[in-house]
Amino acid sequence: MKVKDTKSFLVKFAYFLESSEKYQSVKRFFYNLLENDDYPYKKYFDFFMIFVILSSVTLLVMDVKHHVPQWLDDLDLYFVTTVFIIEYLLRMWVYSDIHKIIIDEYEEALFFSRDLSFTRLFWRILKNKWEYMTTLSAVIDLLAIFPSYRGLRVLRVLVLFRAFKMLRYTKSLTSFLEVLKNKKFELLTLLTLSAFFIFIAGIMLYVFEGDNDNPNIHNLFDAFYWALITISTVGYGDISPVTTEGRVVTMMIILTGIGLISFVTSIIVSSFSERLGILREDRIVNSLAKKESVTVICGFGLLGRLVAKELAKEGVDFVVIEKEEHMAQLAYSMGYKSICADATSENVFSQLKVKTNVSHVLCLTSDDIQNTFIAVNVKSLNPNVYVTARCSDEEIAQKMRFADVNQVIMPEEIAGMMASVYVGEPVAFEVLLSIIEQKEKIQIDEMEVLPGSFAEGKTVSHINFDELRIILLGVLRGEKKEFVFNPKEDFELHSGDNLVFIGYLTAISNFKRSMQ
Amino acid sequence: MKQITGRIFIFGYGSFGKHLYKHLYKHNKNITVVIDNTQTQDVQDSQANIVSINIKQNDDVLSLGIDPKEDIIYCAMNKTANNLFLVLTLKTLFKEINIIAISNSYENARKLKYAGASSVIDLYEATARRFVNILTKPAVTRAVDEIIYKENDLKMAEIVLPENSAVDKKLLSQFDFKAHGIILIAIIDKEKGNDLYFVDHRVDHKLDSGDTLVVVAKKNDLERFQKFLGNENG
Repeated sequence: MKVKDTKSFLVKFAYFLESSEKYQSVKRFFYNLLENDDYPYKKYFDFFMIFVILSSVTLLVMDVKHHVPQWLDDLDLYFVTTVFIIEYLLRMWVYSDIHKIIIDEYEEALFFSRDLSFTRLFWRILKNKWEYMTTLSAVIDLLAIFPSYRGLRVLRVLVLFRAFKMLRYTKSLTSFLEVLKNKKFELLTLLTLSAFFIFIAGIMLYVFEGDNDNPNIHNLFDAFYWALITISTVGYGDISPVTTEGRVVTMMIILTGIGLISFVTSIIVSSFSERLGILREDRIVNSLAKKESVTVICGFGLLGRLVAKELAKEGVDFVVIEKEEHMAQLAYSMGYKSICADATSENVFSQLKVKTNVSHVLCLTSDDIQNTFIAVNVKSLNPNVYVTARCSDEEIAQKMRFADVNQVIMPEEIAGMMASVYVGEPVAFEVLLSIIEQKEKIQIDEMEVLPGSFAEGKTVSHINFDELRIILLGVLRGEKKEFVFNPKEDFELHSGDNLVFIGYLTAISNFKRSMQ
Repeated sequence: MKQITGRIFIFGYGSFGKHLYKHLYKHNKNITVVIDNTQTQDVQDSQANIVSINIKQNDDVLSLGIDPKEDIIYCAMNKTANNLFLVLTLKTLFKEINIIAISNSYENARKLKYAGASSVIDLYEATARRFVNILTKPAVTRAVDEIIYKENDLKMAEIVLPENSAVDKKLLSQFDFKAHGIILIAIIDKEKGNDLYFVDHRVDHKLDSGDTLVVVAKKNDLERFQKFLGNENG
């Protein structure tokens, strides 16, 4: 009866935890603090931990030669160890949900109409947490707790693991280890090879000089030590060969050593250059994920390049997504943030936080179908993103509009219109081109009348546009942004109005300044 | 828009050529589309008057019967290399011909101009601007839409001042264009050569016959203004 009570209490408690908002939010908070790189406060926690680790390592090192005051020693023993233990337990806690395992087990028992088994449950929970405990970082965390135990001097060596713990809090170190991990096979092969050479050379030297010829070689260990020092081209010179045979062995392993070292270097370098692109993209994604309104350019063809150039000139924060690696590389070499990825997949957009941080997506590939695909992909992830797409075919354009693409722009349509409307009016056409393409210093620009600014409440005649060297084209007014062309002299400017005007760059900046 | 007395030739009937034809046809029905018979092109469902020639042959081009003084040529082949070749061919055959060519980059625009095209339309430049303006200057986008792209009564036009016009010998500052519903944007002042000046009132140009004014105005205002000037062909 008692066992049954405990069981039902356990299950009830598990359900309680599952439904408790407060418990979930506390757990989420700790999870964010410990594991979520995007959580803004995690970096403070990381700094704190790095500080604790560094001070504890410093204390332990200082303790070797100098006497550390008792209170500091106590601080190290109690405070640091407590922090580490708490951290270890918290990490184990947030790793998985025990109550979920209980619920799972309970529902499974109900389904097969059998009794909830304590042993089964226990083993499942243990297995689950054991998974965490055997991860490399958890082992390091555990070992880092031990140096506080003063009884065994050799445990002090474990202080190293405190330093290792820092890996967790510094991203660049982790990425370096990633690089090495990728070349595990090559590095292991080389390690085996060098161990083999050291073994052979060591034995040979021992055979030639071990029997009293060389006073520095007392045993096989000395010979191996010499072989390693020589093959690594360090060459301390505390042990050196004295017989001709010994010298021949030395010559051989020096040559092998040079080969091996250059091999290791080249493996690490090549691995780095392979990973560099990915590391760079990670960094770009991370930096953009913190910004609130990111513009994404998909495709870096002729049009993509032009748009990128113009956006950069306007100071808009944007990132280029390009499928072809060499094009993505080109964008990078031109100084833009670029990611080599497929914009039709969800992956890259969720990395960029499309739900909250992406404001505009421009689909600029030369393939209409591809642009539609990208637009639909983005819109399905977040309908609020403003999507502008390029299209050459009217039928596809209709489908894009059906998919709620905010603006469909057809290059041929625009150019065709420009070319046809101004036939026979070459001068007007030139003016039009220079205004639209903004190649020269003459610009078309806009300015909003802000509440309380100089322009608010003034009439058009009051603001002397001629003297300010500005040609006022019109004013956009009201919610619908109706375009009032060439407003009359007595037209009064309200806050919220948008003035559209033409002028030279210097005149425009002067005008904007004086209207504030 | 001015009435064109001559014919219009569009070379190439790819995606750009088709759009061009569509827009030009609204203003002028006398259009000949010329396609290269060495390349296959999709022209089946078109209503256009299509002539198929080998553009590499001078005789074929001559057989079109182009009048270099009156006709206007659009080079709208899909490949810029072909357009370039075409401009060169036409320029060697007819020195004074008026050619408008399509290009896909700033660099190619330079080459086409060098080859003798009177105007070059960059397919992507205006589009790129538009993409950027939508993002950074929404009001400008609206205004440009109203003035240039939309089919409404607002438009940009050029006016050549006739002999003894109503504004003859007047300084810019002495005449109120705004009262006529006209915005003056640029001027070619014959006295100062053929350079185009944007009117920002730094220089008070004197208006003479032969000067070209570039203005933005509503169609009615424009017609009224032309009558006021005494411009008969307006």
